[in-house]
Amino acid sequence: MSKLLAILARAPWVLLIALLGLCALSVYNLHSTSMAAGNTIYLRHLYWMLIGGGVMIVVALIDYRSLQRFVPLFYLGVLTLLLLVLLVGKEVNGSKRWIDLGFVGFQPSELAKLAIILSLASWFQRVPRPGGYALKDLLPVAALIGLPMLLILLEPDLGHTLMLLFISGSMLVFERFERRAMVTLLIFGLASAPFVWEFVLRDYQKSRILTLVDSKADTHGAGWHARQARVAVGSGGFFGKGHGHGTQVAGGFLPENHTDFVFANLAEEQGFLGGFFVLALYLALIISALRSASMARDRFGRHVAVGVGALIFWHVLMNMGMVLNILPVTGVTLPLLSYGGTSVVTVMSAMGLLLNIHLRRTVF
Amino acid sequence: MADYLDSSAVGYQKSARRLMLIAALAFSVLLLRLAHLQFIEGRQLKGVSVHNFARRVDLPANRGSIYDRKGRLLAVSRPSFDLYITPAQVKDIDVLLEGLGQVIELDALDILKLKEKVLQRQGNWRYKGLLVARDIGRKHVALAEDLRSRVAGISIQVRYQREYPMGEIGAHLLGYLGRPRPDELGEGSPYRNDSMLGRFGLEKKLEETLRGEDGFERYVVNARGARKRGGWAERALEGLDNYRPPQRGHDVVLTIDADLQRILANALEGFESGAAVVLEPDTGAVLGIISKPSFDPNEWSGRLSFASKQAIDDNPYNPMLDKSVHSYFPGSIYKPMTALAALEEGVLDPELPIESPGSYEFGNRIFHCHKRSGHGAVDLNAAMAASADVYFYKLGEQLGIDTLARYARRFGFGQRTALGINGESAGIVPTKAHHDKNTRGGFQYGLALSTAIGQGDVRTTPLQMAMAYAALANGGVLYSPRVIDHIRTEDQREISRTQPIQIGTLEARPDHLAAIKRALERAVNDPKRATGHHAAIPYGVIAGKTGTAQVRKIVRGMMRQSVNRFQDRDHAWFAAFAPYDNPKLVVIIFLEHGGSGGKDAAPIARRVFEAYHQQIEPIFQTEARLGR
Repeated sequence: MSKLLAILARAPWVLLIALLGLCALSVYNLHSTSMAAGNTIYLRHLYWMLIGGGVMIVVALIDYRSLQRFVPLFYLGVLTLLLLVLLVGKEVNGSKRWIDLGFVGFQPSELAKLAIILSLASWFQRVPRPGGYALKDLLPVAALIGLPMLLILLEPDLGHTLMLLFISGSMLVFERFERRAMVTLLIFGLASAPFVWEFVLRDYQKSRILTLVDSKADTHGAGWHARQARVAVGSGGFFGKGHGHGTQVAGGFLPENHTDFVFANLAEEQGFLGGFFVLALYLALIISALRSASMARDRFGRHVAVGVGALIFWHVLMNMGMVLNILPVTGVTLPLLSYGGTSVVTVMSAMGLLLNIHLRRTVF
Repeated sequence: MADYLDSSAVGYQKSARRLMLIAALAFSVLLLRLAHLQFIEGRQLKGVSVHNFARRVDLPANRGSIYDRKGRLLAVSRPSFDLYITPAQVKDIDVLLEGLGQVIELDALDILKLKEKVLQRQGNWRYKGLLVARDIGRKHVALAEDLRSRVAGISIQVRYQREYPMGEIGAHLLGYLGRPRPDELGEGSPYRNDSMLGRFGLEKKLEETLRGEDGFERYVVNARGARKRGGWAERALEGLDNYRPPQRGHDVVLTIDADLQRILANALEGFESGAAVVLEPDTGAVLGIISKPSFDPNEWSGRLSFASKQAIDDNPYNPMLDKSVHSYFPGSIYKPMTALAALEEGVLDPELPIESPGSYEFGNRIFHCHKRSGHGAVDLNAAMAASADVYFYKLGEQLGIDTLARYARRFGFGQRTALGINGESAGIVPTKAHHDKNTRGGFQYGLALSTAIGQGDVRTTPLQMAMAYAALANGGVLYSPRVIDHIRTEDQREISRTQPIQIGTLEARPDHLAAIKRALERAVNDPKRATGHHAAIPYGVIAGKTGTAQVRKIVRGMMRQSVNRFQDRDHAWFAAFAPYDNPKLVVIIFLEHGGSGGKDAAPIARRVFEAYHQQIEPIFQTEARLGR
């Protein structure tokens, strides 16, 4: 009993309050899109939140150090699912991202992010290099990251491919490298860009990037989405149009308003005030994750916490960047706010890991 | 599993703080961008969002009506009901079409075609109404309304259709409506694509009075174009300018008499081309004015078929030219002006007989009289009655062209009247300067002789002639011809009333005017000589002057009736007023290339006077009482 109290005393309250705030806000926000569409998505979202909350508690309670054993198994399982989605996945808009489980769709690429975070952290734990990592040390890491990235790129899902790249990159940045390794990586990254553009990206992906430069390049496809999001956000002003009164959502002018463009709805109805509040909550979440990282008991915990922080950070940046028309349109969701079961459960389990690490941190 | 004790925990703390800073910076960029969109681009993007959901329906203003002096409708905008199907709202097309068959006439083929059209519409086009029938009439509207309440997808739209009950009669004066040109649309324009605005006649001249002001209503649509009410839609319209009622245009009451218009049209029957003007000499009010051939303004106001347009274009008598305000050679009806000038200048004794042979040699030219045998020695009355050309050549010779011009201007010739419709012509009052500029070889004195009998370069419009004869008839006051009596609102509130506008006087001695009037009376009633005797009536005294204006000098002296080409025939004029002692009406008859003033135009004027006296108002009262 006293141990439980001690655990509660060590609980990351900032994280929990920010999390609760985002969950409440997401249901409230989706209630507006539900009214417009005449469905009950906000209720289903609430159910997913409750399920996610349960998963989070379970994940938080089992000591993460005992979880480390299962990481390779989890990684292989996710790889299998990624292969499976390419074979039997449901094709939507020309890409296979979903496995249809009958009652619900399931997106393996969401789990891939967790798999990468856990397996990278596990590798850092097992292969310590106090003097900094050399280039040859990173070859297994490249394979570890590259395999799921390739499978997701084949779906194709550029957003999640980039997501994996950015999350792993952030985790690597947290470690120390030999100078030579860093310079080589940088040069390699820059030099590969034209090849990625020419041979990896598909035409519609290129056009979305070009739309960013010239908004008139594509006014009906991705450009139309981005344009309507911009209108929604801009017309919100300081105080917003009020709950349920966002014309862009209610009138159906803003597409994907409950998933990828959910922030446009929030900014339209809650204005700058609402947008600022949401950004602050996310920042609190990320800072909390990084604090956990710096206080973690071991390298595994450290890197998992950084990975989770990076997951939130890059999702928010890429999603809002897209909604605010400064980044290309990619199907990257806004954590917790976007409707989607897999996404919610993934983020909530990540939060569970964070809690787990925080509760078992070193006390100085 | 042994804890791996970190040797560089401090290093990780530094790393973590660095990443926090990067995250905070990146989010600051997002926040700045959010602020930029919401504050700097906010107003513009708000406009775009309004543009997304707000639709404006224009509420067309009802155009003012035009009435005649007795309150009879000459032009009116009648609501016309058009039937539409909105494919997106149709639940069962077969039920709808079956019901529609009971409202309007539809055969099996029509039904098939309609069904195909409705089913063909795709996407947002399905929300756009499909015109089924135009102007379905009041009885059918009731049926359609009934059907609308039972079957989804039918709508009735109101449009105003301009109607002219008199049809072709007086069409030039009233004019017609047309759609705006691209340059008349756009920012600040009172017109929309489907507006109708005055294109001709009074409709054009009084456009701003008649037009009124269109209103509008704003409503909310969703992304699929379906109309939305209540909830967000109601909230979305808050603070916007959502409704403005249409303002009906003003009504215009004319001085025109519809019955007289009909009389004029009947009187000119049998002649292809010409004009007639009837004026009230004491006020300048135009009672009747027509031009021939005419057109149907009902058709021209938006319902012109290709065939009708073609027929008008192919008509050699130029129906779209308003001949009542176009200028022509006046010929002999100009002689009273010459005579008045001569009296005023003191070069003419009206009693003194002047030798008037069949021709007159001046300079190296011979000026002929229309009567080759001549008239002998005649005084003013006889000269006017017989229209003796040489008599007036001699007056012209003594006066000179510039003196003739000075007097002509006092009659209002050479300038546009205030009517100002249909490209009204100013006519020509020739002077030395005019000929120096426009005549090959410059001015020659002989031109004064031609001018004196209304030939040479003299051009006058029938309307000017009416105004000039009104001045002779009323004792020398020149009134501007006016057609508008008053302008009023829909609820009969008078906005403005036109008073007689005196624009000058003839500045002539009363006895001189009396002498001219007497001479004009002789020109109709002289038992021996009167060229205008076909205008005479037994129960009243009409005064007037015939005019047979030569159009081509070459045909002079030939048998004029043998001239077959229409364009080479003479213009026939008759200018008259009556009753002689108290003139109530001035009548101008002009027949373009119509033959002879005496034989053709004078009888028409007589018929007009007679019909007016019998059907509208007895004007020959004194004589009638004497007759009893």
